[in-house]
Amino acid sequence: MRTIRMLAVVDPELCTGCTICDRVCPTLAIVTDRKAHLAAVEADRCSGCPACEQRCPEGAIHMVVREKPFDIGVQVLPGDRERVDALCRAARFHPEQLVCYCTGTRADEAAAAILQGAHTPEEISLRTGIRTGCTVECLQPMLRLLDAAGVRAEPPKGGWQWYGRTVTAWDIPESVKRRYAERGFYFDEDIEILERVVNAPSQEK
Amino acid sequence: MRPPIPPIPPRKSQYGIDPSLVRRRVAELPGITSLLAKDLFPELPDVLMPGPGGVPAVRRAAEAALAGVDMARIQPGHTVNVLASHHGFTLLGGEPYAEMLKAIKDVIQARTGCKNIRLRAGVGLRFRETEEYIRRHGLDRHFGDGKAIGIAPIDQAIPIETEIGTLYGIKKAYDADWIVHAHNSDVREVHFHRQVDRAVKPFGMSYARIETRSTYHQNLGPRAANFIARAIFDSPFVQGKFAFACFLAMSPNGIVGVDADRDLYALNDRITRSGCSLYGRMMTLFGEIDECIVALDFPCPVVYVFSAGVIYANFAGANTDLYDLELPLPAYTWYTEAFYGKAGRPLLPEIPSLNPAIKMCVHNYAWTGYPSAFFSEHIPTVIVGREQAELFDRDAQNSTYTRHARILDTTEEAMAYACRVTGTAKILIFDGAFGGINLSEPLAELLVKRAPEVSRRVDEELLPKWLRQRGIPVAA
Ligand code: SF4
Ligand code: SF4
Repeated sequence: MRTIRMLAVVDPELCTGCTICDRVCPTLAIVTDRKAHLAAVEADRCSGCPACEQRCPEGAIHMVVREKPFDIGVQVLPGDRERVDALCRAARFHPEQLVCYCTGTRADEAAAAILQGAHTPEEISLRTGIRTGCTVECLQPMLRLLDAAGVRAEPPKGGWQWYGRTVTAWDIPESVKRRYAERGFYFDEDIEILERVVNAPSQEK
Repeated sequence: MRPPIPPIPPRKSQYGIDPSLVRRRVAELPGITSLLAKDLFPELPDVLMPGPGGVPAVRRAAEAALAGVDMARIQPGHTVNVLASHHGFTLLGGEPYAEMLKAIKDVIQARTGCKNIRLRAGVGLRFRETEEYIRRHGLDRHFGDGKAIGIAPIDQAIPIETEIGTLYGIKKAYDADWIVHAHNSDVREVHFHRQVDRAVKPFGMSYARIETRSTYHQNLGPRAANFIARAIFDSPFVQGKFAFACFLAMSPNGIVGVDADRDLYALNDRITRSGCSLYGRMMTLFGEIDECIVALDFPCPVVYVFSAGVIYANFAGANTDLYDLELPLPAYTWYTEAFYGKAGRPLLPEIPSLNPAIKMCVHNYAWTGYPSAFFSEHIPTVIVGREQAELFDRDAQNSTYTRHARILDTTEEAMAYACRVTGTAKILIFDGAFGGINLSEPLAELLVKRAPEVSRRVDEELLPKWLRQRGIPVAA
């Protein structure tokens, strides 16, 4: 559960319509009118992350406290628990593992969102709040979960939201592991820990 | 009793409260004394700063180090990106690092005739932070013409082919014929990098896109994560642009000098040795503290406030040996935090708890812009001032930080409360004091007593093990 307290507001006097804000917004809440050279925030989609405010080259975006903060979050539906847990483990996450440090989103919530129809990272962010804090560290878990669910997500066209999935511990070639084992990289030992986490018992009653 | 060392002053920033609201520094309270790092460990190296030579001494050291670097490949018509990171600007107020950056530009220009030299300064999770430093230290004027800019991990990407697949850098970091890697050897996040390839880390972090940084912190595991940085640095793309590296050489007691090299791995090995030996010593000593109140009082996010080169995040794990690679999960890393289940306990029994010596944390002054709720959730925390608490409530990375904390109006009230509730008179202040530590007298006595034995243990037992684990010859 994530409480959305802040809202991005564009100052039309300062905005030049450069489109940077709409390329970085993790929930696709911004559309730039290229003819009017003006960005507009769709308030219902804005999660207050402030990526846009932090990158606007003109200082044209301000974060304001919402008059009515609201909560977002996805519940595991009754009867879905097994499917949710199986999806998390297929992506090599423990269902209770945190996948977003800022918002406290756990793997099971992101997996539930996917099973309930969120088929892009942006849609998962919109529903759960994941990637609306620092907007940096939690991209790969979403892509891993989508992959494990058999969903082929495409990055937003022309956007900088994300570009692609990357390597995991399990994909490192043996030759690489061998070459660098003496330099303090504990590849296989880390896999062993990660797998024990994935298979650890649940703490939820 | 030695008087306290003046703490780093509060700094105007969008990530912290206005300096006028920092009405009292913890070091100003009665009963606070200081220890010089070199008094604890006389074997620490002599430093340029703090010292009478000041910033000009760093400038001279940079010029001397750069004199030994071959720059012949840089031609007058080329472009050069000097790559910097936010962290350097937190060391001794930031001026020494800024001066090193200016020296790099001036020396390249003088030696090669190249005029198109830019500064690209990467960040952690506060995307405007280096823009603030660029203005503050006049780097915009020095590099001129819009050539000094901050870069952030959500900026446009450039794909980089590596031996472990495609990773992503920030396009603007690499939009030049040559790159110069301008960093420092302060260990800082040893819980993340574990002093493995410390010198290479920014290639996987402050010069990298979110895809790469998320790989580091979510995909690879606690001891293999930094391989991401090596993979990017070793890629033909980066190797084709890499000119040289220039580092502020750091010790817990200050700036030792400047180290520059075209061979980053040779520099890396020197840093691994000094990081383990110098910082490992200080961290091991901090691990001897049986009980204390921690006071945060530094213009940096909660985890990064530091005392004699040790950041709060590392002190939170000082009950374990952060340098021992046999330990998979320190008490605090993002992997560890991720592995706490819904009951608020670790999912694996062997995950160590946060340092039980920390009885309470008084957050007098520290910034937003890093997810810190894990600390207030697991360590009793008092925040000084409503304005500061409200700033955290508005921060998207900290929406639950204050939920677990008590808020009091003044520094005096907060410290008195902490002493009363915990019953300890040992206070350790993380305020960036140059060359030493501000702390209470009972804690000073403990550290002075334990330091010689810590020195012996590090030299004879721990350091040889730490170096062996990293493939560094034990004999220097
Ligand atoms: S980034 Fe700023 S200037 Fe550019 S379109 Fe958005 S609001 Fe306008
Ligand atoms: S979600 Fe973030 S980037 Fe998008 S409009 Fe809101 S504050 Fe801006």
